[in-house]
Amino acid sequence: MHHAVVIGGLEFSPLVIYFPMAFILTALTRFILHRLDWHDRIWKVAWFEVSLFMCFLALSVFLLSGR
Amino acid sequence: MVRYLRIMLTIVVIIAAIFAGRWVWTDYMHTPWTRDGRIRADIVTIVPDVSGWVTKLNVKDGQQVAKGELLFSVDQQRYQAAYDKSKANTNNSLYSWELAKHKYERRKALNTQQAISEESLEATRISTEIAKANYDLAKADQTVAQLNLSRTQVTAPVAGQIINLNLRQGNYVAQGTPVFAIVQSDSFYVTGYFEETKIPLIHTNQKATIELLSDTKPLTGQVVSIGKAIANINTQSNNQLLPQVQQTFNWVRLSQRIPVDIKLDALPEGIQLSAGMTATIHLATE
Repeated sequence: MHHAVVIGGLEFSPLVIYFPMAFILTALTRFILHRLDWHDRIWKVAWFEVSLFMCFLALSVFLLSGR
Repeated sequence: MVRYLRIMLTIVVIIAAIFAGRWVWTDYMHTPWTRDGRIRADIVTIVPDVSGWVTKLNVKDGQQVAKGELLFSVDQQRYQAAYDKSKANTNNSLYSWELAKHKYERRKALNTQQAISEESLEATRISTEIAKANYDLAKADQTVAQLNLSRTQVTAPVAGQIINLNLRQGNYVAQGTPVFAIVQSDSFYVTGYFEETKIPLIHTNQKATIELLSDTKPLTGQVVSIGKAIANINTQSNNQLLPQVQQTFNWVRLSQRIPVDIKLDALPEGIQLSAGMTATIHLATE
């Protein structure tokens, strides 16, 4: 439950955490795909990764129920 | 086959992303929640009804007081003297009335013997009525004096905690000037300032979850009222009574915030609430 992120008395939207989190997860996926050498098998990698980022973001908002 | 599979995989992820993005957008923009909530409480300001020096201060800042408990006393010498004076005045008026009655009764007897004129009798009767009216007036004055005397003892109108007590023994307090406030016990509630675009999603008795800035368990409550008016600064006038109309951009408008009051359910044990605290509010959707 992260409805708000409080840093030193300042309240931030949890999105300030979820955005980097989704970005890191996307980067991690990209890294794994590279290591497994599956990267070239995906059609339109850029579209795939942007979409994956969006899915990770929505997943973190859903699971951690933050706004 | 493999080629179709890799195309399908990307398309599936893109479609999932479109739905996920739409869900996030709806969740943020079209569900009734706000980060702009404040804890509030019923504040009762203590205002002396009589002027004078504070002869006895019975409370300290932050003290918990019960309803009817003595808060402070105002010097009562002047009010005691005024009361004594009015009491004497009442007695005076009473005796004047009795004297007038006595005269009237005597003159009534004289009138039956044709010893005095009708006019003289009528004048005596009216004098008796005037004496009675004077007595009633004196009694009313005495009631006011007694009320003023009793108001020199300032008691707590509600149970609660004393806030911002800067009053000291010996200070002069003026009638009608607030001296401190009491936060009424168990009167905490929450006001959420919701964007006007979210107001159609809000109704009374809607369940609410309230989170404080301090990392405590969420509080629960329910909507009791939705504000029916907020101030419109365009209705203010200048000193020539001309309307002060605010200039705005045509392509960007900021939604107004409407206050929604939320009654808190039973509070968890040991929670420290102060009016003015920041709260994030989520209202349950059907």
